[in-house]
Amino acid sequence: MEIPILHDASRDLWVVPVRHHSPACAAHLERLIAEVQPAAVLVEGPCDFDPLIDLLCDTRTRPPVAIVSLAETGSGEKARRVVSYFPFCAHSPEFVALQSARARGVSARFIDLPSTARAWRSEGEERPDRSLLGSEQGFTVGDYVTALARELGARDGNEVWDQLFETRLADADWQRFFLDVAQYCACIRGATDPAEMAHDGTLEREAQMRAIISAVRGYVSGPIIAIVGGFHAEAVFAASKDKPIAAKSGAGRSYLIRYGMRQLDALRGYGAGLPLPGYYQRLWEARGEGAAGLATELITGFAAHLRSSKGEVPSFPVITNAIEQAERLATLRGRPFPTRDDVIDAIRSSFIKDEIPVEQVPLLNELRAWLTGTALGEVPASAGSPPLVEAARGQAKALGFNTEDGERRTRELDIYRKPRHRAASRFAHAMALIDTPFAERTGGPDFRNDIALDRLHEMWAVCWSPLVEARLIELSEVADTLGEALAFVLATRIAALSEQGKGRSALAAIDLFAAACRAGLGREGEAILALIEEQVIEDPELPSVVAAFTDLILLRRGREVLGLTEIGPLDHLVKAAWRRLVLLLPELADWGKDQVAGAVQALADLRGAVELARSSEAPVDFALVDEALADLRTRDLDPMLDGAVTAFALMGGQVSADELESRLRGELASGYVDPRDRLAFLGGVIAIARELVWTLPAIIDTLDTVIAGLDEDAFTELLPYMRLALMPLDPREVDRLAEDIAARLGAKPGALTADIGISEHEMHENLRLDRELADVLARDGVA
Amino acid sequence: MDTELRAIRPPAEARYAAELSALAADDTAPKPAGWRLSPRAVRRFLLGDPKVGVTRKFYGDDPLVDRAIVSLMSQQGLMLVGEPGTAKSLLSELLAAAISGTSGLVVQGSAGTTEDHIRYGWNYALLLAEGPSERALVPSPVLNAMRSGRIVRFEEITRCPPEVQDALISVLSEKALALPELGPDAVASAVPGFNVIATANLRDRGVHEMSSALKRRFNFETVHPIADPEFERELVLKQLAERLGPAGVSVTGERDVAEVLVRTFQDLRTGRTAEGVSLNRPDAVMSTAEAVNVMHAAALEAAYLDNGKLSAAHVARQLQGVVLKDAPEDGKRLRAYVDHIVKERAGRSGAWKDFYQAARALKLG
Repeated sequence: MEIPILHDASRDLWVVPVRHHSPACAAHLERLIAEVQPAAVLVEGPCDFDPLIDLLCDTRTRPPVAIVSLAETGSGEKARRVVSYFPFCAHSPEFVALQSARARGVSARFIDLPSTARAWRSEGEERPDRSLLGSEQGFTVGDYVTALARELGARDGNEVWDQLFETRLADADWQRFFLDVAQYCACIRGATDPAEMAHDGTLEREAQMRAIISAVRGYVSGPIIAIVGGFHAEAVFAASKDKPIAAKSGAGRSYLIRYGMRQLDALRGYGAGLPLPGYYQRLWEARGEGAAGLATELITGFAAHLRSSKGEVPSFPVITNAIEQAERLATLRGRPFPTRDDVIDAIRSSFIKDEIPVEQVPLLNELRAWLTGTALGEVPASAGSPPLVEAARGQAKALGFNTEDGERRTRELDIYRKPRHRAASRFAHAMALIDTPFAERTGGPDFRNDIALDRLHEMWAVCWSPLVEARLIELSEVADTLGEALAFVLATRIAALSEQGKGRSALAAIDLFAAACRAGLGREGEAILALIEEQVIEDPELPSVVAAFTDLILLRRGREVLGLTEIGPLDHLVKAAWRRLVLLLPELADWGKDQVAGAVQALADLRGAVELARSSEAPVDFALVDEALADLRTRDLDPMLDGAVTAFALMGGQVSADELESRLRGELASGYVDPRDRLAFLGGVIAIARELVWTLPAIIDTLDTVIAGLDEDAFTELLPYMRLALMPLDPREVDRLAEDIAARLGAKPGALTADIGISEHEMHENLRLDRELADVLARDGVA
Repeated sequence: MDTELRAIRPPAEARYAAELSALAADDTAPKPAGWRLSPRAVRRFLLGDPKVGVTRKFYGDDPLVDRAIVSLMSQQGLMLVGEPGTAKSLLSELLAAAISGTSGLVVQGSAGTTEDHIRYGWNYALLLAEGPSERALVPSPVLNAMRSGRIVRFEEITRCPPEVQDALISVLSEKALALPELGPDAVASAVPGFNVIATANLRDRGVHEMSSALKRRFNFETVHPIADPEFERELVLKQLAERLGPAGVSVTGERDVAEVLVRTFQDLRTGRTAEGVSLNRPDAVMSTAEAVNVMHAAALEAAYLDNGKLSAAHVARQLQGVVLKDAPEDGKRLRAYVDHIVKERAGRSGAWKDFYQAARALKLG
């Protein structure tokens, strides 16, 4: 293998091999720049990001930040928007290089393929958080790294890296350091399959880097330094006559956004950088005075964190033991100071006085979270983030949400009494509806389902993570305000309903409308109203329309808390749903025999909805339902449906009690072959209005007369169906009915319960059977 | 030494005497007071160093070895916990042999362990003749280790009643033991190099709790079963060779059989097969040590009762004894494993087919 070089004297070109987010590389890079005094600084990164360098170097920019890029891919039906990130933290060599270039007043450029280039998309196509830093898998997987780890007694490639390079953070000899990095990376490259490099776009990217370096060489005199991933260092030295590939105009847009430590963590599947970035942040901060005291700082810091957040207090001896442990582990492993794994090992040994299961323990998870950090960066106000992001962030701040860090918090909103809290609730609903991971509702009243309305407070878990801003940036293409974004998302969802097979479903559409109401959709809402109405008036299913109508009435009742000042549009929808419902009602007669239960259920729901509508004075014409029912009664109906319709009509006053009684008598005494049919009518009545059983004595009278006329066999035959018909009654109602019947028969209510004595033996025998049955059920997995 | 080597199982310091002296000769790193070897040499002794002819003796978790060595340099004792058969005792034996030159100072914890086993007892004849004197005092392994600055091992500490366990608290925190019978000021103080390695099982049947006061005086390390099947197979084969070698027994075909056995053990231990199928885990301990026992017994059967060719059928017959220890349900679980997983694999390789046919014939409840 050739001995790597850093400097090509003939072209006065320095190629500096780095690992992304490595504090040691960043620290040595500072030294290199101070000594080489470059005339131009080139950094691996999409070349279409050049216009953002000014912002990146602004004094108000505080890392972690990221450049987020939006690109359209494909065309026609396959067109998709791809969001990808190029993150920087304080200890990113790239960030340090750009900052130093700015401080020296020399030119700085990015030299990788444009972010819209196809080469970026050969892998990770489906990942929501694609990274535009080249993958650094070579540092953690592969035969070379595995073998090296075994040789050094390290557990993985990251520990190898820490031992070989991060420990040299404070060394003065930057030449030696970068030569070693180059050598190490050359070995990794040597163990990589060239076909894979062609496939994943590595070679294309390197050609671009060579082309831009050569182009810059053409017009800059003096030393040039190029900061590239160590993997590419060897390949970008050669001069090139190719023309660099420029970004297609209008193909994509990019913004500088705030980023979070949590998103930087390599352990979360993000393919470049180092795991637990909070640790490296501290290492970077300690570069001046050396990292000798770092372990003490970390261990005491973590103990303090436990004390303040969990109320657990690791005792002083435990803390000193952990510090001692970390120092000794470092000595044993031949490191000048404890590195990340030494500190974690020390805390694991000293803090946990118990068996540690393979699948992790809370304390170690807490340690990892703490070493990851929660900090969010800051970008200047002029960072040109899209209006939508500014608007949402401003609104969040105004409503008292913390947007300064990525910490997850709970917020309690007093939505009935405090208008500001109500506004905050609407904002949180809106953010959830447009798919930002900002807020999650964990408790509170539910106006839509009429549940827990007595609760005064709404509970939310909120977290302003960079992903929130990223989603907002994605939406910024189509919206400048939250309201517009909401309208867009709702319209997209309604359009998507038919794709999911829920087209023309009033319920699904009203679901969306309800969500929109909770989110406080204002004037923009009127646009979607028409879309929703369209879904409602085309819905062919009565049950779905009934449910939608109920939802609308519930929304109407909660309108004040929901902030629906304009009742007009809502009433418009209520009326539309009502008309549709009345139109669909007579069609029940045509439902198949196997759908009778569904039809009766729909009628029962309708009755509930009508009651609800009456009690909340909904602006609908109730007579329409009566007409539809009258129409239904002229048809030849299944006995159960007939019972339901008749009971419904009785409630509305179109049928008299006598009429119901004679129908019932006729049905019970009828000549149906199947005894089930004889009781179906009663079943229908009870399904719609079970209170009739005791408010209308004629029913029991009729039943009594019919039963009295039966012989023993006929009675036994009818009994199961009778029970089935009376099933909807709850135990209290059964009791009440029983008392009525007892009074009618002149018996005392208590005398009706038969006391069946069983012996102790029999009871044990029964219990045994019961257990056996339970065993059988458990064994068959149906317990 | 000669008699030690003729023992069925010589202690680690005798078995690896050559390696230990090679390491000592090569050892230039600083040693903590009272240690025979430097921490790095101890590490090399456990994890192997081919350059000086030292074999690897502990597998699967190198960082754990580092942490254990470092804990022994501190004021804290070392507590090794984990499932049975995960080489906790082996680890403690090797550490004691390398650090103190002896692994023989052992307190074996049991329900019958008393405080005398931890502090000291008396030679009653001398006690009656002379009264309490240094000569009449019978020191425990703990007291011996304190006086000579060596490591004492406490095996299965949770099998002792908690009040007996707690006799260790003052030894660990004060590093001294009062001997009131020998005079008001008589105290045995620990010499540098003294420490305690305890092994414990926190979840087995019939174990006691450990007091928080005692727990605080230890650093805990959990020894997990080996997760990598390749690794476990090599380990099983190596230990099999170590057992068969001295007895002059040799068998053939053990590699394929070890593959089948280790895969079976891993599947049953984790409750999930390599193909990702979930299954019921038996209650029986399916440790690497048990796997070695099964291989050993199977190899003996093949060597003495068959033609010396070890097959998966031998292993299948031995498996019954391992799995059917206490829970009758385990037999059914093994049966289900054989009927579904093994049957499926039987179509793919000869060893699995042998295993399947022999396992089908077992009476597994």
